Amino acid sequence: MSARTLVRVSIAAAVALVVVSLALGGASYAPRAIADPCQPRPVASPSGTAELAQQLTLSALDGAACDLHTSRETLALALASPAGRRRFARDPRLGSALRAGLVRAIDDAGRAGEIPGPVADVLSAVASRLPADQLVGAVRNAGGLLDRAQGVLGPLAQILGGL
Amino acid sequence: MDRPSGSRLITAALAVVVGLVLADSSVVVLALPEIYRQLDVSVSAVAWVLIAFNLVLACAAVPFAFVARRTGAARSASLGLVVFAAGSVGCAASGAIAPLIASRCVQALGGAAAVTSVLELMPPALGSERRAATLWATAGALGAALGPAAGGALTQLVSWESIFWVQVPVALVLLATLLPSVRRERGAAEVLAEPVPAGRPHLAANLALCLVSAALAAALFLIVLLLIEGWRHSPIAAAIAVSAMPAAALASRPLARTVADGRARAIAGAVLVAGGLAGLGLLPRASIVATLPSQLLVGVGLGLVLSALTEAALEGRAPQAIHGGWTLTARHAGVVLGLLVLTPVFTSDLVHERSAAEQAGTAALLDSPLPPLDKIDLAGRLHDVLATQHGKVPVIGAAFRPLPSDPIERRRTLSLEATMQDQLDRAATHAFSASFLIASGFALAALAGLALARARIEL
Repeated sequence: MSARTLVRVSIAAAVALVVVSLALGGASYAPRAIADPCQPRPVASPSGTAELAQQLTLSALDGAACDLHTSRETLALALASPAGRRRFARDPRLGSALRAGLVRAIDDAGRAGEIPGPVADVLSAVASRLPADQLVGAVRNAGGLLDRAQGVLGPLAQILGGL
Repeated sequence: MDRPSGSRLITAALAVVVGLVLADSSVVVLALPEIYRQLDVSVSAVAWVLIAFNLVLACAAVPFAFVARRTGAARSASLGLVVFAAGSVGCAASGAIAPLIASRCVQALGGAAAVTSVLELMPPALGSERRAATLWATAGALGAALGPAAGGALTQLVSWESIFWVQVPVALVLLATLLPSVRRERGAAEVLAEPVPAGRPHLAANLALCLVSAALAAALFLIVLLLIEGWRHSPIAAAIAVSAMPAAALASRPLARTVADGRARAIAGAVLVAGGLAGLGLLPRASIVATLPSQLLVGVGLGLVLSALTEAALEGRAPQAIHGGWTLTARHAGVVLGLLVLTPVFTSDLVHERSAAEQAGTAALLDSPLPPLDKIDLAGRLHDVLATQHGKVPVIGAAFRPLPSDPIERRRTLSLEATMQDQLDRAATHAFSASFLIASGFALAALAGLALARARIEL
C-alpha cells in the first residue's frame, strides 16, 4: 500500500465512523430533558379517583415548581425527604408557591373537564386566597402523607445517586 | 537472516521486559475501584496509583539512560528488574494508600532503568537498530494496551494484589535470562567506557508522542471505567472487550511493514486514534458492540503511530538508550497530562449527569401510567434491590419482578423499567463523552504538530 493511500483510507475510516455515530444519534444520547413546569402538559382522562388525585398532585407540583423557578422533579424529590421538607419550609417563597400549585391543579383539572367549569372557578378563587402560612404549616405537618410519597421517590433518588 | 536460538531467547526476554514494565502504566486501571473500596480512600487519592507510576517513569527515564551508559546496559537492566520486583512486592503487601503509591514509585524507578537499558541491548541481539527500535516500541505499546485486560482478569479472579504478585516471578525469570549478558559485560570494558555525547532529542516526534499518549490514556483508562463503573460489566467481560484494541494493534503490524514512509504511518495512526476516540465520544447506545468499531480504529492507529514516532525519534540518533529515554519521558508525560486534564472533566461531568439522570428517572416514574399504589409497591422492591447494589450504577430489573399478571399493567411496568434503565445508561455514557472528545483533540493536536514540522523534519 502506498503512503498516500494509507493516509486517505485512514481519514475515510475516521470520518465514516464519526458520520455513522452522528447519524445513529450519538450526539443526543443523553438523559432526557426535563419539561418546563410552567408549560401545560398533555392530560389523560383519569379512570378513577386515585388517578384523578395523582393528576391533581402532579399539576400542583408543576405550579409550585414554576413559581419557585425549579423543576417538578427537583421539588418532588425534595418534598419526599424529611430534610428536604424542612429546607423548603424555611423558604419564604414556599407559601405562595404552594398556593400557585393548588390553583394550577384546579385550573388544569377544569380545562381537562375533570371538574365542572363553574366549580373549578370557585375552587380556584378560594385556593388563591388561602393563607400562605397555613399552607406551609400543612406541608410541615404532612409527615405521614409525604413519607408515603418518599416510599416512591426516595429509592429512586438513591438509585440515581449511585451513578 | 537466521539468528541463533540463544539470541532469539534474549530478544524475546528483552521484549517481555519492555511489555511487563510498560503494562504497569495501565495494569491497575481495572483494579482502581476495588483498591478504592478496600483501602477506603478518595477517588483523587486512588488516581495517584496510576499517576505516580507514569510521572516517575517520565522523570527517571533519561537520567537512568545515562546511568545505563555508564554502568553497562545489562547490569543496569538487571538492577532495574530487581528494583521493579521489589517495588511489586511492596505494592502487593501494602495495606494502605501511602505505601502503595510509594511502592509504585519504586516500581517506576526500576522499570525506567530496565526499559531504557533494553534499548541498548536489543540492537546487538537483533542485528539492526531500526528493527530494535520497532520491536521496543511495539512491545511497549502492546504491554500498555494489554495491561488493563490482564489487570482486570486478575482482579476479578484473584485480587488486586495478585496483579503485583504475578509480576515478581516474571521479573525474576527475566533477570535470570539477562545474567549471562551481565557476566559478558563485566569482561568487556569497552562497553562501559567512552561516553558518547547525546544529541538533542527529536522534538517533533517526542511532542507528537506525548500528545498521542495523552489521547491513548483516555482510550485505555476511560473505556474500562465506562464498561465497569458505567455499564456494570464484570472486570473479565471488560478485559475481553478492551482486548479488541491490542488485537487490532497486532493485526496492523503487517500493514505497517508495507508502508516504509514513517510520516505517513504516523499521520494515518493519529487520524485513526482521533477518529476512534471521537466515535467513543459519540456512542449511540450503551453496548460493548457499539464500542468495537471505535476500539478497532484506535487499536490500528496505536499500532501505526507509536512505532512510527518512536522509530523517528530514535533513527540515526545515538546513544539509543538516551533517545529511547526521551521517548519514554514523552509517552508517560503524555499519560500524566491525559489523566490530569481528563480526570476533573470526567468527574465533573459525572456529577452533572447524575443530576440529569435523577431528574429524568423521577420524571419517568411520575409520568408512568401505573396506578399510584403500584408505584408505591414498586418503590419498596426498588429499595430492596438497592440494598444489594449500594454505591454502583444499579441494574434495576430485579425490582420489577414478578411482573403483574394483567397484560396492560405488565406492559406498562416493562416500559417503565426500560425507560429508567435507559436513562441510567444514557447518563453513564454521556458522562464520558466530553472526555473522549477532548482526548480525540489531543490526537488531532499531535497531527497538527506533525503537519507543522513537515517542511524540515523527516519522520
